[in-house]
Amino acid sequence: MVVVRLKNVSKRFGKVVAVDDVTLEIKEGEFFTFLGPSGCGKTTTLRIIAGLEYPDKGRIFFDDEDVTDVPPYKRNTGMVFQNYALWPHMTVFENISYGLKIRGYSKHEIKKKVDEVLELVQLKGLENRYPTQLSGGQQQRVALARALVIEPKVLLLDEPLSNLDARLRVEMREELKRLQKELKITTIYVTHDQEEALVISDRIAVMRQGRIMQVGEPDEVYRRPKNLFVATFLGRCSLIEGKVVDVDKDLVTIAIDHIRIKGVLPDKDMKLRKGEEAYAVLKPEDFALRIDDPSKANEFTGTVEWLFFVGPFNQIRLGLGRISILVNVEPWFTPSLKSKVTVYIPYEYVIILPKKEQEVCQET
Amino acid sequence: MNLNIKLIKRELDPLTVTQLIIVGLILGAFLVLPVSFMILRAFFHKGSLSLYYFESLVAGGDFIKTKPETSWIELVRTPQGEILIIGRKGPDFGIFLNTLFVSTMVMIFATTLGVLAAFIMARYEFPGKNFFKVILLIPMLATPFVNAFVLGKVLAVNGLVNYLLYETLKILPFKIWVTGLPALILIQTLSLYPIVYLNAYSSFINIDPSLEEQAENLGAKGLKLFLTITLPLALPGISAGAALVFIFSMEDLGAPIGLSGAFGSGLHEKILSFRIYDEFRKGIGSIEQVHASTYAMAVVMLIIALAIFLLIKKYVTLKSYAMLSKGGRWKPRVRRLGVKGLVPIYVFLIILALSASFPQFGVVVLAFTDWAMSKLPSKVTLEHISALLVNREVFRAILNSLIYSSVATLIMLLVGTSAAYVVARRKIPGRDLIDALSTLPIAIPGIIVAVGYLLFFATYFSQTPLDPFFNPGLLLIFSYSVRRLPFTARTVFAGFQQVHESLEEAALNLGADRAKVFFTIALPLIISNVISGGILSFVYSMNEVSTSITLSNLNPNQGPITFYMSQVIYASAAVGTVSVAAALGVLLIVAQILAISVSNYILKQRVAFLGV
Ligand SMILES: Nc1ncnc2c1ncn2[C@@H]1O[C@H](COP(=O)(O)OP(=O)(O)O)[C@@H](O)[C@H]1O
Ligand SMILES: [Mg+2]
Repeated sequence: MVVVRLKNVSKRFGKVVAVDDVTLEIKEGEFFTFLGPSGCGKTTTLRIIAGLEYPDKGRIFFDDEDVTDVPPYKRNTGMVFQNYALWPHMTVFENISYGLKIRGYSKHEIKKKVDEVLELVQLKGLENRYPTQLSGGQQQRVALARALVIEPKVLLLDEPLSNLDARLRVEMREELKRLQKELKITTIYVTHDQEEALVISDRIAVMRQGRIMQVGEPDEVYRRPKNLFVATFLGRCSLIEGKVVDVDKDLVTIAIDHIRIKGVLPDKDMKLRKGEEAYAVLKPEDFALRIDDPSKANEFTGTVEWLFFVGPFNQIRLGLGRISILVNVEPWFTPSLKSKVTVYIPYEYVIILPKKEQEVCQET
Repeated sequence: MNLNIKLIKRELDPLTVTQLIIVGLILGAFLVLPVSFMILRAFFHKGSLSLYYFESLVAGGDFIKTKPETSWIELVRTPQGEILIIGRKGPDFGIFLNTLFVSTMVMIFATTLGVLAAFIMARYEFPGKNFFKVILLIPMLATPFVNAFVLGKVLAVNGLVNYLLYETLKILPFKIWVTGLPALILIQTLSLYPIVYLNAYSSFINIDPSLEEQAENLGAKGLKLFLTITLPLALPGISAGAALVFIFSMEDLGAPIGLSGAFGSGLHEKILSFRIYDEFRKGIGSIEQVHASTYAMAVVMLIIALAIFLLIKKYVTLKSYAMLSKGGRWKPRVRRLGVKGLVPIYVFLIILALSASFPQFGVVVLAFTDWAMSKLPSKVTLEHISALLVNREVFRAILNSLIYSSVATLIMLLVGTSAAYVVARRKIPGRDLIDALSTLPIAIPGIIVAVGYLLFFATYFSQTPLDPFFNPGLLLIFSYSVRRLPFTARTVFAGFQQVHESLEEAALNLGADRAKVFFTIALPLIISNVISGGILSFVYSMNEVSTSITLSNLNPNQGPITFYMSQVIYASAAVGTVSVAAALGVLLIVAQILAISVSNYILKQRVAFLGV
């Protein structure tokens, strides 16, 4: 169990900047996730930590030891590859025991440790199978067992669930989380699936084009996105662009036409002044049809332009003149098209972001 | 800069350094140095750089004839009747142009035949297709010298064709005799067309059918479709095959020597490869006796071969050669034919198959009958085959071949695997050089390697085990290792390419250093490629002609099979009969069939292989 620190790490491949000046500290025993669209540099970052790629600039530390120039086979990290990378010419047992043999354990110890880890990942009895004789989920567990059995300082997981079907993915992510808590091992996880990241992580780093856009606990990055990219990457939202008309302590009001939207800045260091351009980020699930204290919420009345049945809830596109917003409502609420509906959203749920230097997530 | 040094230092782990040393040492000492030394020698006259030897070549008048002889047919009246002689007086443009002429014609004919056959086999379904699939490849089974001798037996004045068509059936108004350059072109075309055929075939079946269907959908069909879509898509494969045919034709010694054995000297000897060989054969005893203009000849030949090789490599990477072709990833477009279509196809295929495979069948007949001594085979005998074991000289030649080829195969595997791994996995400067060097031997005519060895090792390693006058066998081992390296290197490289790098990274991650990763993960995963490449390399080493016959001259006791065969067929030495050479040819055929079957079985894939 170690603290992993990245200091100003950069890596380019030809013209592509895969990792761009990343500085991070991953705490002991933490479940840390790199989240971002594909191609944003997650895998490269993970591989730099494993030593499979060397950074052009910057340093990597395990606790206080600078491991930047340590070759991968001396780093004692346990990596699970996206494609599992199980050796087809070895049985499950041989795959898992490989790292132990290298470390010079006796036959007896190897047997014991492999048995233990097989128990842990619930694969007992499959020792003599070859990887091709296993299902996707089983292969995934073997890959995990192979990484865990060497008791690595850090567990590195590169989209380990992306090759599984949807149901298995949900089961496995809970199991992963359980295992990680049980073993208390520092874990670095890579995924492009925001839901997965939110469910499984202690902290998340949202990445974009090699840069870290925001680091924080799941509810923090979800509730308090510090930029439009994070806001739009984590779930759907309505973006309303307007001019700041009022700043009152923490509360900022922006206006577009006659509509006023009041919300909060995600960060204390952020400042907005009257007359500046800004965005309001409105998440559809934060709206309600009724509210206890209307004095602390925005109230919007509009016409129903469209109604979507999503399942657990209904989604309405509500027209407010030139703009429209997405609103989730209870599944029993089915207003007819063109009818008037009033919805509320508390000020504290509305995030106001300065317009300068903001970019929207194009992916997903 | 600082960064680069760090990167190189990281990439140069002990395994990589060892592999680089192995590759550098073998390729450096047994390819680059000897050949470079020979090139230098050709450019030095009386201690200074000069084109003297090249000028004297041209001035000699025999190199490029000022008055080329172009009449190539003559009708001669003899007591036994009229004979139509093709190729005796001409064409003859001088050694240099003859070489280009022969290779160009062989390339054109082989490409035409190969592409046509490949297209038929790839795109039509007809009864007996599988039979033709096998029979069309028979010419790839090399039987050096003897196949040309068989051609002589068949096409000579008293040969089989005249016996059948003139004497017996009386269809021909005169006898026919094909000799000289036309005979060379004929025999080389027949033995080399399968290279184009195989490449064209795999190109055709690897064309995504939807590409052709789209064109049809837009209204193209028949010849138009072929010329606008199919051919252009297959062109890289076909042209690479054609280029190899050119190079192999130019370096071939088996055909000219075999023809000399059958017809005596003639214009078929007036080509570069034979001339160089002959100079060295005559110059036995001391390297000083060899006139330096011979080196100039070799340089000319090398330049042509390299130019063609580099041109084609620029156009298509030769990487796809000696490599696995994964037949039919999709269902290829195959059409059934009506009777009207079947007839021309059968006529073409039967004529091609018969004429292309008769040398191999002839070799078998020679080996098992008394045909060598008589006009027609009259009795079956096992005496020649048994000579392989009984005749001490023959047996020694077999043993020599086996030893040289085995050791060479081990060296090839070592060098080939090392080179392939470095090229496939390491990011170091000079990687492209290693890649080029391990493919280059395909383009270097064997006779040039032989000349380079003679010159270099006789000059600098005199009185050592590497002295060609004392110990040509050892040099043959290295010459095989280098000349057949592309087979191993390419097959192994193809293997590494198919292994996902993450499999090796997973082992690195678990604590295995690079050497361990190589031996426990990378190598076991591609072991079937290694074995298969090894088997093919072994057999192609047994077939090696150019260096075998040139170097062994210096110490015949160390001569391998092909040397013995050349002696029997060509040289005056009465060491044995042609029938025994044919028996050796049968031995080689069997070895090749076995090797190809085993390696196909191991790889469970068709191996596109290169003959010669
Ligand atoms: N070995 C490599 N060579 C060249 N480009 C690479 C290599 N690895 C990654 N890249 C590029 O770097 C960027 C980041 O890749 P990656 O780290 O794999 O992203 P992610 O895992 O987030 O999808 C991509 O643009 C990718 O194309
Ligand atoms: Mg990735």
